[in-house]
Amino acid sequence: MGWVVVIVESSMAEAESPPKADKQQPAVLIKGRGTGVAFNLDENAPLEEVARELDCQLAGRSTLFSKGGITINTGNRTLSVDEEEEIRRIFREKSGLKIARFVSVAGVTAEAEADGSALPNAESIGILPLTDAPPTRRTRQNPTPLSEFSSADLARALSGLSSQGQRTRDRALIVRGTIRSGETVQHLGDLVVLGDVNPGSEVLADGDIVVMGSLKGLPHAGASGDNKAAVIALEIACPRLRIGGAEANAPASGSVGARGRKQDNATPQPTIAYTRQGKIHVSPFAGRFARYTKGVPYEG
Amino acid sequence: MKGRTIVITSGKGGVGKTTATANLGTALAMRGHSVVVIDTDIGLRNLDVIMGLENRIVYDLVNVIEGKCRLRQAMIQDKNRLELYLIPAAQTRDKDSITPEQLKGLCGELENEFDFILIDCPAGIEQGFKNAVAAAGEAIIVTTPEVSAIRDADRVIGLLEASGLHRPKLIINRISAEMVKRGDMMGQEDVESLLAMEVIGLVPADERTVAAANRGIPTVHDGRSTAGAAFKRIAARIDGEEVPLQQLDARPGMFNRLRDMVGIKGRAYSHA
Repeated sequence: MGWVVVIVESSMAEAESPPKADKQQPAVLIKGRGTGVAFNLDENAPLEEVARELDCQLAGRSTLFSKGGITINTGNRTLSVDEEEEIRRIFREKSGLKIARFVSVAGVTAEAEADGSALPNAESIGILPLTDAPPTRRTRQNPTPLSEFSSADLARALSGLSSQGQRTRDRALIVRGTIRSGETVQHLGDLVVLGDVNPGSEVLADGDIVVMGSLKGLPHAGASGDNKAAVIALEIACPRLRIGGAEANAPASGSVGARGRKQDNATPQPTIAYTRQGKIHVSPFAGRFARYTKGVPYEG
Repeated sequence: MKGRTIVITSGKGGVGKTTATANLGTALAMRGHSVVVIDTDIGLRNLDVIMGLENRIVYDLVNVIEGKCRLRQAMIQDKNRLELYLIPAAQTRDKDSITPEQLKGLCGELENEFDFILIDCPAGIEQGFKNAVAAAGEAIIVTTPEVSAIRDADRVIGLLEASGLHRPKLIINRISAEMVKRGDMMGQEDVESLLAMEVIGLVPADERTVAAANRGIPTVHDGRSTAGAAFKRIAARIDGEEVPLQQLDARPGMFNRLRDMVGIKGRAYSHA
């Protein structure tokens, strides 16, 4: 869906070249995609240089236009509030572009940031071969339709990366907000959603999926084939569940609400879904590594 | 002062987008604002019929955009001589006849002269939706308390946020207090929790709305219409006034029924 019109000047085509570890790459790369415009800021260049570069780029490109907000990708750099404000100011003054979000590898991996460990760059955290977009992302406009989407493809893609030792199980992606119908979130590590996962959406993670809300979309934990992954949610109300290579359908009846209205008899409680002998079981949540013995198969 | 451009959309068809546009436009004009309502449902125009302006159409939106007429020529003034104008859609063309940028330009022009520009969005999420959304600075989503409408509203909220329209407002249309009370219909809280979204108004199911639409008089002109009163309150909220959401109150009591039968004037039921 063409939300964004980028009037590309001939010079922009050159900037379009893949942002590999090229020493000559400019401090600011502008990438026009089908659904948005992203400004990739070089994570190694000093911020003053980035700001200067941004300044010239915007001044020379008054024709750059985007209806939707643009994305600023800061790579491994974690911007301070002041630095972020500085970049916002440049965009405000030099262009009519609205910044929708700042994306950084660091920004989405709060744990890694806290322990100060070295962060992987955007490439190594895993760009899925399925798309050309950054690794951890929310597909708003063009989620792969369910019919065209083969989880086997994804599993293959993910396991390929895993075998190269680039898997990032210890890096969690935290999505702040609701994942709505038609959106897909995929991540190579654990995935935490601070909100609901609504019907018609998909969440795929190489590790665990934790939903601090009601899970009604299609989850696939351990998408690279890891049967030890788990799905944890304050309410599991999805019609289908995938963990690793296992798949299960919800029982035909019960509190699983295909109907919009919640059933009065069942107050939702934190639930974990896991696999046992190749079958998906669900049980009241009692800790990630508790021994679950009373789980019931998710298949009715 | 620069005007506000608000798109009224839903995803699903038949939930009352056009009715809401006509009524909110009229209610805002009754509050003393200058308002333009634009029908972007090219090929399936309806807003003119609901506003009772069908037989006054000479030029339409596509004519304006193609430069066949001046903007003012395509603007039809409301029958009640309010500061309310309609730009009708073309009936013989399709959604691809205009581009998002063209509509954006048009609305930008109108914003300099009018307080409110309301865009009636077509159903669906294709070209017509993209056109309508591109021009807007704010969005109102109309839904009914039905699972299918809510599912579509959820999708549309995602699309609006992706195109930079954050925090759209929600109108729940055709809600029946009695059915909610019986547990047969989703109430305000149910919809709010499903969509994680702020509700700006509840419009009760009201037969008078249908009758008013058929006569081409927006129901806000009807003093006895509960839906009309709800639309007036929503208009006040859009205007920035603090109007508390009234709780739905089903009162099928003997006295009320009797009063309805006898036809005593006044608000028979108090709805939100």
